[in-house]
Amino acid sequence: MLSTVILRRVLFSIPTLLGVATLAFILGHLSPGDPAIAAMGLDLEGQSYVDPDELNRVRQELGLDQPLLTQYLHWLGKAVQGDFGRSYVSTSQVSELVFEALPTTLLLLFTTMSTAAVVGISLGILSAVFRGRAGDYIARMIAIIGVSTPTFWFALVLMLLFAYVFPIFPMTGSIAEHGLQAMVLPTLAIALHPAALIARMTRSSMLEVLSHDMVRTATAKGLSKWRVFMVHVLRNALNPVITVIGFQFANLMGGAVAVEFIFSLPGLGSLLIEGIYEKDILIIQGAVLVIGVTFALSNLIVDVLYMLIDPRIRL
Amino acid sequence: MSTIPEALYTELEELPPNRWQRCSAACKRFLAQPLNAFSSGLTVALLLLALLAPVLAPYPYDKIDPANGLQAPSLEHLMGTDQAGRDIFSRVLYGARTSLSIGIVTVLFGLIVGVFIGAVSGYVGSFVDEIIMRIVEIFMSIPGIVMALALVSVLGPSPPFIVLALSIRRITQFARVARAAVLSAKVEDYVTACRAVGMSDLRIVFRHILPNCAGPIIVLATVLLGNVILIESTLSFLGMGIQEPTPSWGTMIAKGNEYLTFAPWISMFPGVFLFLTMIAFNLLGDGLRDHIDPRGGSVV
Repeated sequence: MLSTVILRRVLFSIPTLLGVATLAFILGHLSPGDPAIAAMGLDLEGQSYVDPDELNRVRQELGLDQPLLTQYLHWLGKAVQGDFGRSYVSTSQVSELVFEALPTTLLLLFTTMSTAAVVGISLGILSAVFRGRAGDYIARMIAIIGVSTPTFWFALVLMLLFAYVFPIFPMTGSIAEHGLQAMVLPTLAIALHPAALIARMTRSSMLEVLSHDMVRTATAKGLSKWRVFMVHVLRNALNPVITVIGFQFANLMGGAVAVEFIFSLPGLGSLLIEGIYEKDILIIQGAVLVIGVTFALSNLIVDVLYMLIDPRIRL
Repeated sequence: MSTIPEALYTELEELPPNRWQRCSAACKRFLAQPLNAFSSGLTVALLLLALLAPVLAPYPYDKIDPANGLQAPSLEHLMGTDQAGRDIFSRVLYGARTSLSIGIVTVLFGLIVGVFIGAVSGYVGSFVDEIIMRIVEIFMSIPGIVMALALVSVLGPSPPFIVLALSIRRITQFARVARAAVLSAKVEDYVTACRAVGMSDLRIVFRHILPNCAGPIIVLATVLLGNVILIESTLSFLGMGIQEPTPSWGTMIAKGNEYLTFAPWISMFPGVFLFLTMIAFNLLGDGLRDHIDPRGGSVV
């Protein structure tokens, strides 16, 4: 029974994945330049000097003379196999660039998410336990400041404080150069926002569960307040929190783009921005596609986890 | 026209409060909360700063004075000067104009289109709903900033395209909220009553259902205003948003990034204003949410 439900959810994500791919394809065709000219390493100004025969040859080679639908299917077929074409500017395979950058970004997302979850849930519990008292106000104040701080600016503040004024961490650079130390400031910079959201969600979710009858029953059984909170309330309150954590991916990725750029971390975000600066449409396409697919997959995983944790969700 | 009989006149005075009176009473109740008063005050102050920028700014925002470049904050230049000797305070004020106007236009555009799509989707239901919601889900799969960056890089970083790139995700967000609200409203008795008296579907949706769903939509608009301003400044920070010499907080922070270690004021002051704007709209959104729907959870 459960496996059919999960299978259905997996099948449901196929149209979304296809849609993301279509969107990435359309993005490439929105670009005002002629891809054949770009592939020849020329920009728009160079267009008038191009030999028309040569241009036609490149068009044919890239399949640009085919109808749009054929081009789309051809591109999709290759993209599914992880082939996003050859970068116009650096002439290396886009897939190589993308998959080289992916581990850094995934690691960054992982460290950020864990930090945000630990800090956020702790703050949220603190807030709920001390509801209406000083601890609650301080925790909520931290949460609202966290939600409101612009990620890229916070990254600069952290850099100024902990890499320049107090040179504890490296200012910029990859893991290859500085080891995991390179991840600390970027992680903190991106984690602030989701941590604050998780704290708020944990607080309101715990307060809601606290009003349930089962809490009164547990207290009446003579359980300690601590046990009621940590075992009975928290367990029931965590479901919406997990959803929020799962859906934070888009926010995190958004933050990661600017933060990777600021700290010169060679991840997907830096790759995307380089692609944009160099007007390399295939890199932009590849990065958008991989980010979209990763997001759709993470949603899928969250939904499945949710079904496994909470039997009530198995629709 | 005959005069109103006196008996009826006194009776009229005892009628329940009209819409305006109810509205101002609700405002008073809203502002009685200190946090709401604070966020409303901050919002009004920011709007005033943006509106009055030409009056308040001590220097023209693009007045270059290389001899006075990179000066620390002083009485002459409240927030110091940037590398070209331009007054940071004046640029921050004009930056508020840029940010708020882009934010407001984007949210309004997203609201109109998104609410329309969401309302149709929710009211018509069946396969139309299914298709629209699939498309919405696809757009939600790509992080807003990535989508906006990619679109602006392809279309070019001019204000109309920036608004368009920022709106796409807002449209999907408004569509989801409007759809959910319409779905729950359309089974209410008053909708059945509207149908029974023979109203057209369009009239029912736009004159009766949507005004009843205004709460969550207003809350979302407030929260998204802060959100859009943040994304616009991130775009500008990455060089894909508002272009020089038009002042934008994001561009100013990016420029300051190059001088971060010896002239931190260039990027810190615009950042503080961005932070205050975010605080104002987030708190305002929170307050409105609690006020309009005390039970409600998060809408975003």
